[in-house]
Amino acid sequence: MKVFSNSETFDYSWEEVSTANWRKYCPWNEKSTHVIAVDTLSRHVDAETGILRTERLITCKQSAPKWLASLMGGTDVSHVFETSYVDPESKKVTMVSQNLTWSNILSCQEKVVYQPLSATKTQFVQEAKVTALCGGWQKVKNAVEEATVCRFSENARLGKEGFETVLEMSRRVFSEEKLKQKKQTESVAL
Amino acid sequence: MSASLAPECNEVKERYDSCFLKWYSETDLPAEYLRGKGKTDECSALFKDYKHCLTSALKERGIDKMLEDAREDHKENDAANMRRGCEYMAMF
Repeated sequence: MKVFSNSETFDYSWEEVSTANWRKYCPWNEKSTHVIAVDTLSRHVDAETGILRTERLITCKQSAPKWLASLMGGTDVSHVFETSYVDPESKKVTMVSQNLTWSNILSCQEKVVYQPLSATKTQFVQEAKVTALCGGWQKVKNAVEEATVCRFSENARLGKEGFETVLEMSRRVFSEEKLKQKKQTESVAL
Repeated sequence: MSASLAPECNEVKERYDSCFLKWYSETDLPAEYLRGKGKTDECSALFKDYKHCLTSALKERGIDKMLEDAREDHKENDAANMRRGCEYMAMF
């Protein structure tokens, strides 16, 4: 098993980050192009705690190294199942995900947490556990795990860059929207 | 907004996603949530349409079976994340 961990700070409020997070993989994000689809499978607010629970299916298309691709059966489309929890009271977003494709040879479990550091800063903590399940040589398992962790770190770097763009665009769109609403109320008042 | 894995569901998905995002960004978190006002009801009709389309797409592609197994594995995450005031983490 190999562990990949990463943490970042975004100069945006938790409210902004947790909202923009829902469109992290929209066309504004030109960096995370390996994510080709994001589907919502279920969503509800827990009546007791107010926690918003969402299940999503994330579809990726990414070329793997040739030797790895042949081990994985030659397909480059993969699916990830994600469950997320938004706790509005403690201001915490937790996202847990697991690979669906190739799960007989490789297990990737990822956990991401977004929490406020201050009124204008949000911390992102990511941890991924990669375990090769394929029987046989330890050398092969190590190589599979290493290649996966390497891809994780590459995606994490690009993910941060892409998400920064989404945050910037979200802030701009929201302020434009607010201005429009303000103008409308003003014209009604007149 | 991001696409659906099933192109035929893109249109209904887009409508639902916009509704949800509007609700999420306009809900006064956490006050409205906890007062029970922040229910996702206003988007539920749109979600129903989207889900109807998606369910058959997942079935066609054989993804529904994989999902069932994953859901089973994720149950322990619920135990850790659907309640408050406890820092223990099921996964790590």
